[in-house]
Amino acid sequence: MTETTFRPIDVKKIQKMLTPKKGKMKALLSFCAHCGLCAESCFLYRNHLDPKYVPAYKAINSLGKIYKKKGRVDRNQLEEMKELIFKNCVLCGRCYCPLGIDIPSMISLARTICRSQGVYGVFPYSAGEP
Amino acid sequence: MGETHLYYFIRGPLLWIAFFVFAGGIVFRTVQFFKLTRKKDPLIYSPTKNHKERYGKSSVQERKMQFAISLKNSILGQHQAVAIFTSLFHILIFILPIFLLAHNLLLYESWNFSLWSFSESTGDTLTILFLFLAGFFFFRRVAVAKVRALSRASDFFVWLITVTPFLTGFICYRQWFDYHTALIMHILSGELMLIAITFTKLGHMVFFFLARFFIGSEFSLGRGTRTW
Amino acid sequence: MIIAKIKPLEEVKAMIKDFKRILNVGCAGCTAVCLAGGQKEVDTLNTKLALSFKEEHTSPLIEGYTIERQCESQFLAVLDSMVEDYDALLSMACGAGIQFLAERFPDMKVFPAVNTTFVGVNRDIGWYEERCQCCGECVLGITGGICPVTMCAKVLFNGPCGGSQDGHCEVDKNIPCAWVNIYKRLKAQGRLEQILNVFPARDWKNQTQGTFVLEEYQGRYSYKDKEGSQT
Repeated sequence: MTETTFRPIDVKKIQKMLTPKKGKMKALLSFCAHCGLCAESCFLYRNHLDPKYVPAYKAINSLGKIYKKKGRVDRNQLEEMKELIFKNCVLCGRCYCPLGIDIPSMISLARTICRSQGVYGVFPYSAGEP
Repeated sequence: MGETHLYYFIRGPLLWIAFFVFAGGIVFRTVQFFKLTRKKDPLIYSPTKNHKERYGKSSVQERKMQFAISLKNSILGQHQAVAIFTSLFHILIFILPIFLLAHNLLLYESWNFSLWSFSESTGDTLTILFLFLAGFFFFRRVAVAKVRALSRASDFFVWLITVTPFLTGFICYRQWFDYHTALIMHILSGELMLIAITFTKLGHMVFFFLARFFIGSEFSLGRGTRTW
Repeated sequence: MIIAKIKPLEEVKAMIKDFKRILNVGCAGCTAVCLAGGQKEVDTLNTKLALSFKEEHTSPLIEGYTIERQCESQFLAVLDSMVEDYDALLSMACGAGIQFLAERFPDMKVFPAVNTTFVGVNRDIGWYEERCQCCGECVLGITGGICPVTMCAKVLFNGPCGGSQDGHCEVDKNIPCAWVNIYKRLKAQGRLEQILNVFPARDWKNQTQGTFVLEEYQGRYSYKDKEGSQT
């Protein structure tokens, strides 16, 4: 797409971004009961009824994956999660979690990490459906 | 007899270990939570005249209506079955083991005191209800697309950890299969569940209260004076 | 972001009472963030309206649909196939979104369900404060990051005025004097000399409708200046 696509992934930089929030994010990821009750609070899920719009799904498959791999992700993996966090979420921050998990902060951190590696939500990707 | 030794081990030392891990886990998670969050600076709202005129308080009746409507649009209002079943499930998981007659008899045998307990038949009925609810959640995890998409092996494993103590307890009461094996399975799985609360997603037992009451958000149940 | 507040129920009801099929369009942009017009508020308002109409023995069809942002036509496009089923639209977007919605469907009657109040900040959950009046001539660099247009009741560019009492505005003693705050902050930063010069009178160009095209994009659109010449 752009020339930045070929830049190698800076794992050290990702890890440096992950470390300060590690305690919070690990807790949020580990306590998620995978109950799916956040689904209907997302207007995009309600509009499309596709599990790929469930807030927890977006967070687990973006930030969750990055933490699981301790930051050692490759460009393909970041490109894969791009759609989930840039296109499938507008970060309106209105997702409801019965356990009180702060889902937007997870998606927002995943976005920051992707951006730092040149993986962008290019408009009209930047906020939802083209 | 090896089996008897095992029985006394899991009834004695292992039980204490499980209780300590359980209590330690709760303390650890709570301390961790308070370390990860900080208190927000208190804010003092001082509306100007202008504000008071434009955005006055709504009447009691309006707020009552607001409450009724938010209830209608909540999980309870939208997915009655899920909301009622999940509430029952979580209540039962606490009260069933604590107020079960058989458990209280053991308590009396050991320490000469016991809590109020259900009658045998009530305990049995509630166990059946619990197993039905657990079955419902299993079914939901498999059958509902949005939940299936979130499910992984660990979810089924944790489900098993949660259900086994109740299932084996049910089997013990009926004396199906070999009573002794079932009893050992029952105690072991119960201890495993207590330990798992610290290390798995079952930790939401502690996290739920901390996050929903202390963290300020649209959905906080308390004042929400802390932030991550 | 843009901060809005839901209109009183009676006002919304009065606007739509003659219609049989109503679509309430939510906006997941600014108004969702300030808890005024997201999906949850759409649901809440629809339930309220339905209950309230039921009491009066009418039962119009009121449905809801939330889109990403109503200020962008690409997001409004999803509604193209939906609106023909309805005879009125309620919008929970800001004033800009409502107008853009009305413009896209010129045959539809469009009604606002929220009052757009200001451009502000989200100090804490449910607590919003105005910070900008979009005047188009930002002076924050000189005033130490405190806006005299928004924070000063008189919109003074050379303050404070004689009404400033112990750091408070004469309008209301709960309002701090913007110019005292500007003075304090600049003094602390050692750049008081910035406000020694008298500001020239402002060009109140924000009193006409604001439209601008970023220079690098101007080539994309045909351009008509005020005298009427078209390029």
